[in-house]
Amino acid sequence: MRPHAGASLSRRRFLSLSAGGTAVGAAALSGCAMQVSSGVSGSGETVTVMVKSGDILPEQVQQAKKDLGIKIVLVKFDITKLIAMLTSGNPPDLVRGVGAVDLPYFAARDVAEELDPYFARSSVLKPEDLDPVNDLWRFDGRTQGKGPRYGMAKDFSQDSMFWYNTAAFDKGGVDYPSETEPVTYEEWLDNAKRLVQRKSGQTTVFGGSFNGLTRATLLATMTASAGGSLFSDDFSRVDFTTPEARKALAWYMDYAKTKVGPSLIQPDPNGWDGPTYQAGRLAMSNAGYWMGGMIYPDKKLAKVSRLAPAPMFAGGERISACQGGTGLWMPRGAKNKDAAWRVFEWFFGEEPAKGRASGGWGIPTLKSLRSLMPAQEDYQKRVLKAQENELKHFSVVSFTPYTTADAIDALFNQIAPAAMNGQISVDTLAGRLNSAINEQLKRGKEQVG
Amino acid sequence: MTVDQISSVADRPSAATGTGRAPATAGPRISMTARRHRAFYMFTSPWIIGFLLLTVTPMVYALWLSFTTFDGISPNWKYVGLGNYRELLNDPVTWDALGRAGLFAVTSVPLSIIAGLALAVLVNRPLKARGLFRTLLYLPAVVPPVGAGLAFKLLFDQNSGASNGVLTFFGIDAVGWLADPYARYVLLMTVLWAAGNVMIISLAGLQDVPRELHEAARIDGASAWRTFRSITVPLLSPVLLFQTVTGMIASVQTIMPLLLAPLGDTGGVTTVPQSNYLYMMHVFAQYFALGRYGYASALLWVLFVLILVVTGLIFKFTSGAVFYNVDPEAKK
Repeated sequence: MRPHAGASLSRRRFLSLSAGGTAVGAAALSGCAMQVSSGVSGSGETVTVMVKSGDILPEQVQQAKKDLGIKIVLVKFDITKLIAMLTSGNPPDLVRGVGAVDLPYFAARDVAEELDPYFARSSVLKPEDLDPVNDLWRFDGRTQGKGPRYGMAKDFSQDSMFWYNTAAFDKGGVDYPSETEPVTYEEWLDNAKRLVQRKSGQTTVFGGSFNGLTRATLLATMTASAGGSLFSDDFSRVDFTTPEARKALAWYMDYAKTKVGPSLIQPDPNGWDGPTYQAGRLAMSNAGYWMGGMIYPDKKLAKVSRLAPAPMFAGGERISACQGGTGLWMPRGAKNKDAAWRVFEWFFGEEPAKGRASGGWGIPTLKSLRSLMPAQEDYQKRVLKAQENELKHFSVVSFTPYTTADAIDALFNQIAPAAMNGQISVDTLAGRLNSAINEQLKRGKEQVG
Repeated sequence: MTVDQISSVADRPSAATGTGRAPATAGPRISMTARRHRAFYMFTSPWIIGFLLLTVTPMVYALWLSFTTFDGISPNWKYVGLGNYRELLNDPVTWDALGRAGLFAVTSVPLSIIAGLALAVLVNRPLKARGLFRTLLYLPAVVPPVGAGLAFKLLFDQNSGASNGVLTFFGIDAVGWLADPYARYVLLMTVLWAAGNVMIISLAGLQDVPRELHEAARIDGASAWRTFRSITVPLLSPVLLFQTVTGMIASVQTIMPLLLAPLGDTGGVTTVPQSNYLYMMHVFAQYFALGRYGYASALLWVLFVLILVVTGLIFKFTSGAVFYNVDPEAKK
């Protein structure tokens, strides 16, 4: 029966109308989401870039508008939002990513655009000028470091290197580590034990911090340094029971148990080493060259800070990998690829890249920009020399495409505290990690297909 | 005049028309009942549309996801029926997290109700500067949880926190408050610190207790404790029931452990010490760290059903103990 105008609105009809309204609303909301990457705006083009605050500064956005005629819309990086945008078919045009761990994951899921054709015709980003670290952004469908390029690092560090505070070493009566020859992991831990200062159950100065960029990359890199591989050849499994991986795991458990530095069972409320090192409460910090950007403005701190090579295991291989290589990649579904590539060139090869290179916040990823690295002060020259020497030992430690580093860290964080507290042995821990992480990798492999 | 009487008057033909017929120039006649219904729905529709759009739709979507292996991005996800639900039944981490959440709820809810009620009784007395005390005690409840989490992290940091400063001043060794096994006590303290919420509601309930009942009890020689137990608490029982139910729901969904973790963001959820790894932390970890949208959605649906069941049980077992002060005349 057709309701007449005077009829009261029945509950059923009202709910139907509400459901209809909801559908319309949902479509409208979806439409709003689409506008994020609409492609053209005003007189020029618009490129949506999903980054963290500080990656691209507001004044750089204005400069890009003036120089390139392209309007850059910044979207705050948020993995949940990125997944929602990718799923709805409206991804940003460029996205921040950590090359060492994100690229295999996204490329294997076929959401990243191959950039080789763009590089081939670029006059700004020439293949011969690219630093080898950019190989972190290559993936051949199975192995990272080979195959087409999907992105590029904005700057990088060799993240197993460590900074040390000479004042803390002087106070502890400990010899300074060499700036050219690596200490062994055992020596590093021994130094940390001698440098740590405690009083009434409180640690007033941490002997050292060694946590890597993520636990996944730390242990993969350390295993490689011991001469092995954490992942199987096809990256579908991990094995912590191999002698090399076990050695790395046992060392890290010793580090946590002795409480010489921050760990899961002794958290640092700052969340990272920077403020603790700056406050003189950390003798050694496992951070690469990039932390110079924080150290240099404080001349007093800069004068007592030195950068040392990545430690190695006795009898192992000297390698010094990059665990980050943060940069940008272009989603396959990007709406405005040509304009996005122009922004990509500008970000990696023009003014923003030059600014980053001279700031000391990382090694430039174009060889031609190396000359811009800060070297005015003696302490800067000293650090640069140590860093240049270390570059000879750079290598790519490939990461699995079947899961994220966050996922491996999550499982590690749940299982490892028991071993750090001495409740389970390293062998038990290795078995439990294998079981949990391999289950996660198996699920990932099924989904990648 | 009762509400029904008002309605029947309103439904009568308009006095202006006299005969009850619509004027010749008017459109189709709309009855007063229809107008009332329409007004009701017009006023409630923003909420109902919001509820459908922002609550029902995501819940149905999450229910669908819970039957899949969807990870948010991979192309080859599949339908697994009840597979995720079967997995969670056999997942010891899930049960441990649920057990901890249950323990946290049965500890934190009674403690915060008792603390809030005690504070309410105190500030209900004729004190000097009573308003100031009420404000000060309620103030922590309005501090945003992120700020509170940060403050507690700094306060209880092992190496530089004020709490250990006090301990070491008295020659006691510092304690690792934010790590196992002490982290659970810090979490409990964050809940009790915000007991002002409970206080303010209990205070409103206390002010509703008829004074003559207390006077009669005093004349009969009842002690203060007896008066509180036999008059105040029964009359406050609906308020206490409300606080128990809402407190229980809030406590199993608390995100405070995350805010106390070394890395206080969703990605850092697994840095939460094990004693604070409650059910919602497990859900966060499955969604945001492991990318298991299907499994995490199943966890959420199980939590939703459990909350419904527990709420139903609370109502069932307290029905005889809750005293509703209803005016018997109101139903006539």
